[in-house]
Amino acid sequence: MKKITAYIALVGVAMGIVACKPKYKTPDYSKGEMNPTTFVMIGGGHAAGYMDDGLTYEGQQTSVAKLIADQLKFVGGGDFKQSLVDQNSIGISLLGLSPLKMGYKTDCQGVTSLSPVRVAMSSGDMGIWSDNAANGPFNNFSIPGLQLADLWSATVYNSNPFYKRIGSSSTLGISSLMQANPTFFSVFLGLEEALVYAKSGGTVSTFLTDNEFETKYTELVDLLTANGAKGALATIPDVTQMPYFTTIPWNGLNLDSANAATLTNVFNQIGFTFEIGANPFMIVDPDANQFAVRQIAANEKLLLSIPLDSVKCHKLGVLYPFRNEFVLNNDEIQILNDKVNAYNAIIRQIAQNKGLAIVETNDFVSKLTSGFLYNGVALNAKFVTGGSYSLDGIYFNARGNGLFANEFIKAINKKYKSTIPQVDANKFSATKFP
Amino acid sequence: MKKTLFLISLVFLSLQKVDAQGFQVNFQGQKQQAMGCAGSAKYLDGSAMFFNPGAAAFATENSINLATTPIFARVMYVDSATQQPYRTNSPVGTPFSAYGLFGLKKLEQLKFGIAAYTPFGSTVSYEEGWIGRFALTRLQLKAIFIQPTVSYKINEKLGVGAGFVLSTGDVVLQKDIPVQFEDGTFASAKLSGKALGFGYNLGVSYKATDKLTLGLNYRSQVNMDLNDGNAEFTVPDGLRDKFPNGKFVGSLPLPQVATLGIAYDISDKWETVLDVNFVGWKAYDTLAFDYETNTESLTDTKSARNYKNIFAFRAGAAYKISDVFSLRFGGGYGFSPVQSGFVTPETPDANRGYGTFGISYSPGKHFSLDASFYYTQVKRSDINQETNLSGTFSTKAVAPGLALIYKW
Repeated sequence: MKKITAYIALVGVAMGIVACKPKYKTPDYSKGEMNPTTFVMIGGGHAAGYMDDGLTYEGQQTSVAKLIADQLKFVGGGDFKQSLVDQNSIGISLLGLSPLKMGYKTDCQGVTSLSPVRVAMSSGDMGIWSDNAANGPFNNFSIPGLQLADLWSATVYNSNPFYKRIGSSSTLGISSLMQANPTFFSVFLGLEEALVYAKSGGTVSTFLTDNEFETKYTELVDLLTANGAKGALATIPDVTQMPYFTTIPWNGLNLDSANAATLTNVFNQIGFTFEIGANPFMIVDPDANQFAVRQIAANEKLLLSIPLDSVKCHKLGVLYPFRNEFVLNNDEIQILNDKVNAYNAIIRQIAQNKGLAIVETNDFVSKLTSGFLYNGVALNAKFVTGGSYSLDGIYFNARGNGLFANEFIKAINKKYKSTIPQVDANKFSATKFP
Repeated sequence: MKKTLFLISLVFLSLQKVDAQGFQVNFQGQKQQAMGCAGSAKYLDGSAMFFNPGAAAFATENSINLATTPIFARVMYVDSATQQPYRTNSPVGTPFSAYGLFGLKKLEQLKFGIAAYTPFGSTVSYEEGWIGRFALTRLQLKAIFIQPTVSYKINEKLGVGAGFVLSTGDVVLQKDIPVQFEDGTFASAKLSGKALGFGYNLGVSYKATDKLTLGLNYRSQVNMDLNDGNAEFTVPDGLRDKFPNGKFVGSLPLPQVATLGIAYDISDKWETVLDVNFVGWKAYDTLAFDYETNTESLTDTKSARNYKNIFAFRAGAAYKISDVFSLRFGGGYGFSPVQSGFVTPETPDANRGYGTFGISYSPGKHFSLDASFYYTQVKRSDINQETNLSGTFSTKAVAPGLALIYKW
């Protein structure tokens, strides 16, 4: 009897130790009221995986479109085909340069510091700008710079060098993208139009009239939903909150007493004085006065395209005021906001009419601007150190794309009562340091 | 006999939850562990020096008592947003206790002894790449208490005792830093150091009747001061000046514990024990690290812990099968000191119930063996205010313990 008791106790102890592991119960993921089998996304740089001012294989692996598609697989999503560039390619920027990385840079004053630098002195990999549509159709119909009107354009094949990756010269984009036969889709268009305007300091505009935008957007969605497919439409965020427009401070002109006095003497005649310490930069403004220059206002934006060495060593922004292309002034910000608001109203209306999910992208951009905590990581919209924007100051890095993809997933779950799990954004790269 | 086994299984079925609030470890005596970790009212063996130095005055023999209780604990964290599970691969915890209790022939009212035990500690290590890696990847916290003790039997009913506590500790805390090397690996921080603290342990044991014994025990708070910690950062060269290796200062309060113990002998064969603990966890308000060299990226940290004082209830019984064998069983319930919003990967704590049982074997005059077994299972969902980690921690732990006693 005692032996049996001891034996039972021993077995019990052994079993207890072996069983001592909390069990994971796989959740019942539900696709809800949508069919994720064939997911297609139509968008610009974010959806394409453009980051650090370049399109690379690595970036494409963490494109917003790919990350959403990966999560859709939990509820029955199928393969997601992208027009991938060569794995060993260094990538290429919108302007044909190589992408950015963190490196050491010596400025005009001889000071060496960590800064975004090009991966290679030579141009980017031009091979990326070659025909690849024959390998389609692609589930990710997104390229850097893709605008809504491009889907009906016969010239985009030549005007946007990335277009060759997904489309041909013989077929309109609107036809090409339907070849994938989407059962579920997401559209994130309109942002690139806003970026063209904002990044040019308001000197270039490709905005459609509101009517044209509404007509084309409606036509696109009509086509996508013709066979009953559901989807998510994304609104356009406020681009002026992005580091590209917030990194160079309007009052970044620091002066000692001698320089302040000299500049005051120079500009006093047209009513500008300078103080010791922080001062507003000088900008070109034809409407300002007979010299067409003035101090920048606090809410106006200086662009990251400004050559900083010229500011540090050659009085750019002071005796040589910033030209229009480096400044988004109040009038231009107004035009931009009005346009984005009008487009967003149209997108929301179409989503409502068609019963589609709506992704309010500016909620996420604003959340980043005010800063938030994500699984122990403090994130904000600061250039380089903020943790979500890539080195181009506009497109997100892989972690940012993960967080952004989660906004799409949340909107889809809410609309279609699905339970698609979110992405662990922290498992993807942010900024890498030497 | 059958009845006893039935009782044991009943305890197990009903109390599939258990014990060790915060990073407190309640494994200081096998007989007590077998009875739900209760038994501070009266003398059971040399472990009375920990449970109640007053009860140690009633020792009738000299003894040396060596015990260990390996803890097999597994934590699983399920993140609420991704629904993915992450697990710990913590090494086996090895709390131990050693007691030497002696009396003088000439002055048998006086007992003196030395105790060494591990009342606080935690080693938790999470799997590679887990979602909370920027909060914690590994924590190793060990505190060894050395306690010289004197007990005095005032009369046949009343015993008092006191011990001085010297605590030496060892802490290693590791986590990842959200900046990356060029190959994509994350930077990391390792904070380590040795800490020292002092305290005391007081007790009174009162035999109210032949059957009823009451005990009071007070173990003081011990502030573990870490004055010479090493902060090591594995970071890319480009960020070295932002994360300088260097010294840091910190401290950790190990809380005061006050216990009321009651022991009641129902018959020659059955004895029962009950303990009520008050644990002063409120002292653990903030976890602060003060770095010798601060930079914009490396600032002194003050993490709110906001622990609250708690009560724990423990009860158990022993059944004497024969002069050689005794069976014990018990259980308890303790409230968690960790408030909502403050659950961390280092102590994924929750209110917990637990069940225990054990067996004692005393074949002769000099040697005896005590074995115990402890099981707990807890679950806690929370959104941590400091990290925004949102998910559910599930913990299962078993702890089989063994004591070897030599007496003369």
